[in-house]
Order: sequence, then C-alpha cells, then structure tokens
Amino acid sequence: MRRFDYYRAISVDEAIALLNEHGEGGMLLSGGTDLLVQIKEAGLAPAYVVGLSGIDELRELRSNGDGLHIGAGVLMHEVASDGTVQAQYSALCDGAGVVGSRQTRNMATVGGNVCNAAPSADTGPPLSVLDATVHVAGGGGTREVAIDDFWTGPGRTVLDSEVVTHITVPAPPANAGSFYERHTPRQIMDIAAVGTAVYVELDGDGNCSQARIALGAVAPTVVRAPAAEAALSGGPITAARAAEAGRAAAGEATPISDQRGSAEFRTHLVEVMTTRSILHAAERAQG
Amino acid sequence: MAKQIFTLNVNGRDHEVYTEPNQSLLEVVRDELRLTGAKEGCGTGDCGACTVLVDGRIVTSCLVLAPDAAGREITTIEGLADGEKLHPMQQAFIDHGSVQCGFCIPGMILSSVALLEENPAPTRDEIRRGIAGNLCRCTGYRKIVEAIESVAGS
Amino acid sequence: MTTETRPEYSSVGKRETRIEGAGKVTGGAIYAADVQVPDMLHCKLVHSPHAHARIVSIDATKALAIDGVERVIVAEDFGQAVKDGSNPAIDASNRGAALLAHKQAVFTGEPVAAVLAETPSAAEEGVEAVEVTYEVLPHVLDLEAAMEDGSPLARPPVSDIDHSEEEAHVTLDVDTEEAEGKPTNVASHVSFTRGDIEAGFAESDVIVERTWRSASMHQGYIEPHATVADFKPATGELTVWAATQGQFMVRDTIMRTLKWPETKLRVIGCELGGGFGGKMTLNSPLVAALSVIAGRPVKLVLTRAEDITAAAPAPRAMINLKTGMKKDGSLTAIEASVVYGAGAYPGAPAAVGALLGTSFYKWPNLKADGYEVLTNHVSVGAIRAPGTHNAMHAVEQNIDEMARQLDLDAGAVRLQNVSQTGDPMASGQEFTKIGLDETVTQAIEHPLWKNREAAKAESTDTKMVGVGLAIGGWLGGLQPAAAEVMLNNDGTVNAVTGVNDITGTNTSFAQILAEELNISLDQINITTGDTKTAPFAGMSAGSKTLFTVGRALREAAIDLREQMFEVAADRLEANENDLELKDNAVSVKGSPDQSLGMDRLASMTTGFGALYKPLVGSGSIAARIQAPGFTAQLVKVEVDTDTGNVELKDFAIVQDVGFAINPLSVEGQMEGGAVQGMGIGLWEEYIYDDDGKLRNAGLLDYRMPTAADVPDIESLIVEVPSEDGPYGARGVGEPSITAGGAAIANAIADAIGARVSEIPATPERVLRALGTVGDGAEAAGS
Repeated sequence: MRRFDYYRAISVDEAIALLNEHGEGGMLLSGGTDLLVQIKEAGLAPAYVVGLSGIDELRELRSNGDGLHIGAGVLMHEVASDGTVQAQYSALCDGAGVVGSRQTRNMATVGGNVCNAAPSADTGPPLSVLDATVHVAGGGGTREVAIDDFWTGPGRTVLDSEVVTHITVPAPPANAGSFYERHTPRQIMDIAAVGTAVYVELDGDGNCSQARIALGAVAPTVVRAPAAEAALSGGPITAARAAEAGRAAAGEATPISDQRGSAEFRTHLVEVMTTRSILHAAERAQG
Repeated sequence: MAKQIFTLNVNGRDHEVYTEPNQSLLEVVRDELRLTGAKEGCGTGDCGACTVLVDGRIVTSCLVLAPDAAGREITTIEGLADGEKLHPMQQAFIDHGSVQCGFCIPGMILSSVALLEENPAPTRDEIRRGIAGNLCRCTGYRKIVEAIESVAGS
Repeated sequence: MTTETRPEYSSVGKRETRIEGAGKVTGGAIYAADVQVPDMLHCKLVHSPHAHARIVSIDATKALAIDGVERVIVAEDFGQAVKDGSNPAIDASNRGAALLAHKQAVFTGEPVAAVLAETPSAAEEGVEAVEVTYEVLPHVLDLEAAMEDGSPLARPPVSDIDHSEEEAHVTLDVDTEEAEGKPTNVASHVSFTRGDIEAGFAESDVIVERTWRSASMHQGYIEPHATVADFKPATGELTVWAATQGQFMVRDTIMRTLKWPETKLRVIGCELGGGFGGKMTLNSPLVAALSVIAGRPVKLVLTRAEDITAAAPAPRAMINLKTGMKKDGSLTAIEASVVYGAGAYPGAPAAVGALLGTSFYKWPNLKADGYEVLTNHVSVGAIRAPGTHNAMHAVEQNIDEMARQLDLDAGAVRLQNVSQTGDPMASGQEFTKIGLDETVTQAIEHPLWKNREAAKAESTDTKMVGVGLAIGGWLGGLQPAAAEVMLNNDGTVNAVTGVNDITGTNTSFAQILAEELNISLDQINITTGDTKTAPFAGMSAGSKTLFTVGRALREAAIDLREQMFEVAADRLEANENDLELKDNAVSVKGSPDQSLGMDRLASMTTGFGALYKPLVGSGSIAARIQAPGFTAQLVKVEVDTDTGNVELKDFAIVQDVGFAINPLSVEGQMEGGAVQGMGIGLWEEYIYDDDGKLRNAGLLDYRMPTAADVPDIESLIVEVPSEDGPYGARGVGEPSITAGGAAIANAIADAIGARVSEIPATPERVLRALGTVGDGAEAAGS
C-alpha cells in the first residue's frame, strides 16, 4: 500500500479539526473495508487519512418509540444482530447481514457504507425505504440530510470536509413491513448485481397505504422507484399488483452493463426481484 | 509519512512497534513481529487467509491499519495452541484430513473457533455460511465442515 | 469394484492423517512469502496498460528519486545477469524467456519494468512513477477473428513453442505441427482421423452439431506467486526460495535462462499454497536475474490482482462439435474443431483437448483438429488436467443431447460406448488397463441417477430441478524420479525426496515405507530436500507424484531391506531368503530368538570400526506406462427461472484411483477437484473489455466457490489396479476437475429443457438459454 500520513481522531470535533487543518485531499477511514481496498487497488491516493475508529461517540446504536439511532461507526454485525432492528427495521437487518463476509461485518460500519456511496451498497436501499436521515457535522456546525439527497453519484456525496455522525430512522408503525434482497451469483461474499428494498404499510382493509421502493446497482446512486410505488399504493398487495409494480420498477432502472451483468439482465432482475420483495415485505407487514 | 510508535498486544504479549502508519495489521504481524501464520491471499478482504481475532472477533487483518489495532487483544494462529497441546479445532482439522496445501488454514481455523464462540451448536448450513469468508481451493470444504462439526458436537 | 484379489497390506490402503499436519495448523509451515533474508530488496512490477503496444521509452528518473527506490530494471539489462552476457528477453517468443517485455507488450498486465526498493510501499510508489511511453498497436482478442486471414497479428512470429507446462502434466504421443510459412495467429495445429466420418454421419439417426465455449479461468491457488532470490556476489552462489510445484524445473529453467551452473544454484521449494498447474517457474528466473543484477536478495510477491491478470490462467476454448448416434445408442462419428486460446505466448493444450475429447468413447469414425490460437491476452498455463474440462464440456453435452433426442437413457448410452482397455485413442495409441467402464457403472447405479425422475418432480413454477451426469479423465504424466531411504541409528528411517508435498503425498510416501519395512508410521520421517540435497524428482503435477516418486521410494525401501538382510544374514549366519522384517527387527523366520533389531543393525553400520557399510536404500525409476484415471460425476441442481441462479443440491463423484494408498487424502483430492469443477460450471471466468483489459481481477468478481455455495460431496472410490503404479495406484489429482462443468451443464438442461452453450452457466446465460432475457440467442460472452 502506498504511504500516507495518518491521524487517529478520538472525537468528532478533533476529526473535523484535522480535516480543516490539513486541507484538501484528506480521506476519512472508518471500517477500512472500502477505503483501503481503493487505496490498494483503485489508485486512490489520499493526501492524508483521518481514522475514526477511536471515536466512541460514533459507536452508539439505540432505539426508542421515535425511531432508531445508528452511530456512523456502528458495525454491520451489530446492526444485523440487534433485536429491534430485526423486528422493526428488517430491511436494514437484511442488508447489513449480507455485506461481505463475517469478517467484513465485524469491520465495516453503516456510516462507511453510506459514505462510500456505492450504488450497490447493501444498506443503501434499506435506509432509503426506511426514510433515513443522515446527520452531518462540520466546521460550520451540524446539518441533516435526507438519505435520498445524500448521494450525488457513484462514490460521491454532499459531504464537504464533514463527518457523518449518525443516521436516524423513524419508527415504522405496527402495520408496516420491509424487506431487502440482492442478486449475486454466489450466496455470500459478493456484490449486488441488483438490490431491491421495499417498505409497505397496510391499512385496516389490507390495502397498501404507503409504499416505498428503492433499487440498488441499477443507477449512479441508490434510487427510489416512484412509478412502482404509485402502482402498488392504494390497493391490496396481490401477486398481480406486485408484478405490475415490478414492471414499473424495471422501467425506472437505468443500469449499465459490466462484469456483474448486462443492462438487459439487470432490468429483468429489477422486475422479478421487486415483485418478490413486495410480497415478502407485505408478509412481514401482516406478520 | 512519519513513523509512529504504538503497542500491539498479540497473543497475550505486548509488542512495541515503530512503523509507517500505512502498514496493515497483517504486514506488521508478519514482517515486524515475524508471526507469519496469517497469510496474504488477496489484500482486499476477499479470501480470509489473513483472518485474525481482534477482541475475540474475526477480521481480515489486511484491511486493518496497524495503529487502529493498538490497545486491542489480537490473536493469531500462533496464539491458539496451549504449549504443545493443540487447540481442539487444530487437532480436529488434522484428524479429519481438512488440511491440504494449508495456506488458508490459519484463517480458516480462527474463523471456525470464533464461529463456535458465537454459536456453539451451529447447523451444517450455519457452519458453511460461517466460513464463507475463508476461501479454500484444495479441499472442497467437506472435511473442514466435518472438523468444525466434530468440535461443536464434543 | 474389482474382482481381482489383492494382497493384505499392513499400511498402504489405510486412512492416515497427515504426518506433518501440526505445522500447517499452527502457522509454523513456511511458504515462500514468509521468507525474509537480511538486506532484502522488494520488487514490484510495472505492467503494460495496453493489450498490444510498442514500448517507445522507459524513463525511471522520477521513480529513482523516491525515497527507498534503489533500482529500476528493464529488459535490456538482463545481459548483466547471464553468464555469457546473452539476453534471453531480447525478442523472446516464449513466456519463460520473456523476463520482462522487450520492445513490445503483447497483453495487458505484461511486466515491462521491475522496481527494486527497500520496502514494498516504496516499490509500489516507484512503479507509479516509472514513465513508459507506448505506441498502441492493433490488438486481436476474439478467437474466431484471430484465425481469419488478414487478422492483425497478436505478436511477432514465434520461433519455437515451449510446451513444458503441458508436458509437465501429461505425456502425449502426438506430433504437433507448428505454424510455418505465412505469419498467423494459429501457433500450432494437430489433427487426428479415423475411418470415414461422412459415412458415419450418413448412418446416424441423430446428429448434433453445436459450438461450445468455456471460459479462461484462474487456477485459484490462495497463495499468490512468490519468489525470493539471494545472490551472493562473493561466492557466486544463487539461492532461490520459490512457490513452485517443481523445484527442479525452476532450477533447470534458471540454468537455461541465465546459463547458470547448477553447482552454484540451490532452489528451495517452500511449502506451497496451492498450485493446480499454475505454479511452475513463472517469476523465478526474473527474480533470480534481478538479484544477480542488484547484488542483493530480492523478493517478489504478486498481488492478487497481478496474479489474476498476469500470471498464467487456464485457457478458454471454443469447440465446434458434430456427433452422430444410431437409434440403438451406438456412436457413429465425431467431427471436432477444437480451438484453445493461448494468449500472447504459445503453450495452450490444444492437442490434449483434441485427443481426450475424442478418445473416451469408441468413435468408429473421427476427425479432430486442435488449434492453438494467439490473442492479446495473458498467456495461458496449465490447470489440473489442462485442457480437459473444456473438451469434456463439449463432448458430454453432445452425448447427452443425442441421447435426449433419441429418448435413450444417457447413462446407459455412456456405458455402451465408453472406451475399454486396449481400445485406441484418437491418436491410435492403445489405452493401457483402464476402469472407465467400472466407473460409469457405479455412477449410473447411484441413487442420484436412478431417482432423477423423482428429483425432477420436486420442481415448482420457478424452481426447476434437474440431474446431470458427465464423465472425464486424465491420461497421467510420466517423469523419472529417484529417492533415498536411510536407516537411522535408533532403528528409525529417514527418507529424502525432491518432490514438493502440497497435499499430503509425504504421508502416503511414509505409508509405502511402512509397508515395505513393516514398521509403523511414527518411525518414518520424510524430508523434502532442495535441489542440492535431494535426488531428482519430477514436478508435483500431472497426477504423477505418488505414481512416480512413490514407486522410486518403494524401490528404495526394498533396496534398504535387502541391504539389512545382507548384514543380518552375515551376522545371524542365515540365508537371506529365510529372513523376515518384523517388529523392528530382522529375524530368521520361525526362530524369533535369532533376531537383530534395526537399531543394532544400524549401529553395526555406523560405529567406530564398524564392519558393515552404512545402509542407504536407493530407488530410481523411469515410468513408461501411463495409468489413466477416469471419473463420472453426478449433480442435482435447482434452477431459479426468475433469476437464473443455479443452486447445487447434491454432488457425487466416482473415480477410478487404481489403488487408494491413503483413502483420506484420495477423497480430499476428489472433493477438491469436484468443487473446482463446480466453479468451472457456474462461476469462474475471465471477463475482458473490448480493449483487452480484465474487468474482474479480484476475488470478489472472480468468483471461486465458498463453503456456502457447494453441497457436501459424496466420494466413491473405484479401484481397478493399474499395471505399473505402486500397489496398482493411478494418478488421482487431476480427473476430479474434468467432469463437473459438463455435469452441471447437463443438469441445467435436464431442469429447464434448454442448454447453455457456454460455461460458466451464469444466471444471465441461464436466462438467455431460457429466452427470458435477450432474443433467444445466448450471450456471446468474451
């Protein structure tokens, strides 16, 4: 690995100060599973690196009636094994639970996954459908960014010499369910060719009163599929209506062709996986 | 690129390390401490050959910057046996014919030990998923799974 | 499975755990990358970013200015390392001699310069700072396009073809015609004919003609290539620690490349982290030369990306196959055009593919042409049974499809037609004693095959179940070998061989010694010597390690026993024929009190004033009779017709191993090869872009099977003894990889009623075969 200067911060304030002090070209290091790979293999040459793993305040995972607070430094395995996340925020549990290997999940953080801004990130579509908010701190204070506004392109975010401190997710009502799945040729240890996350709320008649659908790896960022959401909302969740929404989602995907599959193949996957994910999410909502 | 001094606790012993901070935990353990049991198979966290325990949990040490491991308990394959008495997982790997070329084995054994710590009675499928971050090219995995199963069952 | 009675053995044939297992489970085993030598420089390589380009200039000024960078070496420098001042890299047309690219780079990733630095990080930064100016040349990537007249040439004409990689694995009695006359990308062509194929096709009730493709793949060893070389200018001694399957091949390659005397050259084959045909000599001559030039030790460890991109993967193949069958299941004719992509340096196993693809069944009429075609890809090397899985994929899908079209049992059809002992191969050479018939018989009696209709009935709307069968095999390599066995003073035995133990062959060697000397395993030590201390042995490749070195050791043990008897006969005043070796002593049969312990015997041959010469048994053999090993493999798959994903549910491998000296390690070879076959069938492939750049040079996107992807494998050992192997053993390592890809393809066809024409059968290819994605024509793939 090429050489770089490395500073370990022990507080968010110190991390921000280091970024301001050393200026352009610095990178933040959280779990290391993306950044170090990019330095080793993708020619990334940071002017310096600020390490965040020593900051205790980023490690907090807690929930109450209002929702879930995920510190940016919370590990994937901590999210995936948390009882509340499993029960109420299950799409996020699905996503965090399939990132890389057990080793990866002991290292990779939710904040890192979000900030790496890969369209294939496994917590991306779940956080999107769960309506997450990203909390950011910088020299000028703190701000909140809706998750769908946070990513601006592959590997790009709205961050400007800032640190993500935590992510919040509003508590879903009891009649809600969410689900995430991804397509990979191997069972695990793989990157999504397509990821689909679905969140639904059912009213007293069993009709879908609220639907959020997000797609991974089929656009420059994780994207919502509003036409699919519209197709699903306002009626019962049947196989036929799920399929209709799946077809709508396929029309909203703009995948590229690469080593993980052709655009045509990925578009097909969006349709069948969205359809399946809707039915799984609905099952959970009824659960 | 100033060198840094920090202390790594490896296999119960403190080691003072003076090195450039871009060194991975794997590089320091192998090249500075000369504990070469952990292997580099890919350098990108995709093969598991460099797996070590940090505070009891498995990580791919090729993706940990060594200074980030300061103050934590690190266990490598060299720290698993109790003197000349092998850890039951090490013995099981020998007894079940689970070792061929051996390059993946240090990481594989540490993943297996940690798996049973977290889940003392895994199903065969849980074992298979539990070691999926450790690639083995020689064995086809069956005899490895059987070795882990034998330790879990004992 | 055999009716022949076999002798009662005390040691061979028993399941034994590895005698040296502790080193590998405690981290104590030393691999090449673990070697550190004082004052060592680290090497990193500058790679061509272009598939085909002229190297205009290389400017190292900026690299040399980096803190820690010591030297930058280019091809022109190698004259300094060669004893007679010649430079092997100049106009090299074989990969082995092309230490670094000279004047032009012929594949993306080809090394063009070597940076030597005090640390790996400094070397890496040096690589980025070396400024190479290229003039991009037209490249050729597609196999068919490369064969056309007027295609750009992938490289300058080749002077002579180095087939050592292939020959390390298999001994072929075949004349390969090398390209002559007009420059062409076809580096070599081999042809076999028998009978009259037109007449054969004319009497066929079904003819299947299709083009089958299989991808280029990595051998998958987890240990990247690693070499340390230490040249001592004061003594002229050159020591090389290599990750290699064959330390003597490394020695001889360095000797030839650098004209280096073998008296001044020690090659130490370290513990090897997997080879599977891919760890021969690749970087050893380069690192040796760098050390000589620098006058310091040099270490080169490839990164995984470098290893995938620029080592020596297994070739892709394009096989056009036309076959005919009669209604009664008998075969009529086969016509095969077998094209293997060699990459940019020749050495692809086209002859193997053409020969084995047309030899495992009794084809009355055949015409097979094998072509080795050059393109601007990394040059290929061997893999476990090089070339065979590609050929079996084609042949076994054709056989399966003909049986399906005639509504015949695909298992029975195979049994009806497989080659038998004495049948001619396509080359005319006759098969030695083989057990293909017995192997297929056992496979088609297996419940997985017998119950395949019931398995298919498990299918649901979107999960289709199918069962596939395929055969494969390997002729086996031959190479001379020697070994020594010495009696120690405590009555134990030390043996030395020169073959690198990768997977446990030393344990099987100990079993052979235990058998012949009637002692227990814990009284035996096997040392793998280096090239200065060990007697010659061939490579640990070609399924010949035990087949050849095992025989040499057995002869050495018998020699030692005879020497012990000679001394004992003299001391006990008995006839040698009346002696037996039992309970660590030589005794007169029937008179246990007339006995000499092995320790006593040893002391009589070593003490001061001892009367007898030291007891050292020697064995040397030149194996001449091949012992082909065959396999038949069964797989049950479940295909998700929505996503194209294929899940492997059950897998059984049947293999004739002749005689399983250590069944535990034989199973390990079968299971490991079978899983590699699964990788071939479903996941593993090199994916290039249109510029010849590899798109998946990492273990995330070059997908080898994980434990979660594969089922438990059932191993069924068949033992039809070979004529010449130790105790009847055959080569075991290679057959296991040859059939899995084909079996999976056949299982998919059974499940979904459509055939993938290219493996791996990725989800996308499965959906294209189904017509769910695309216009019904399958993905072309690269």
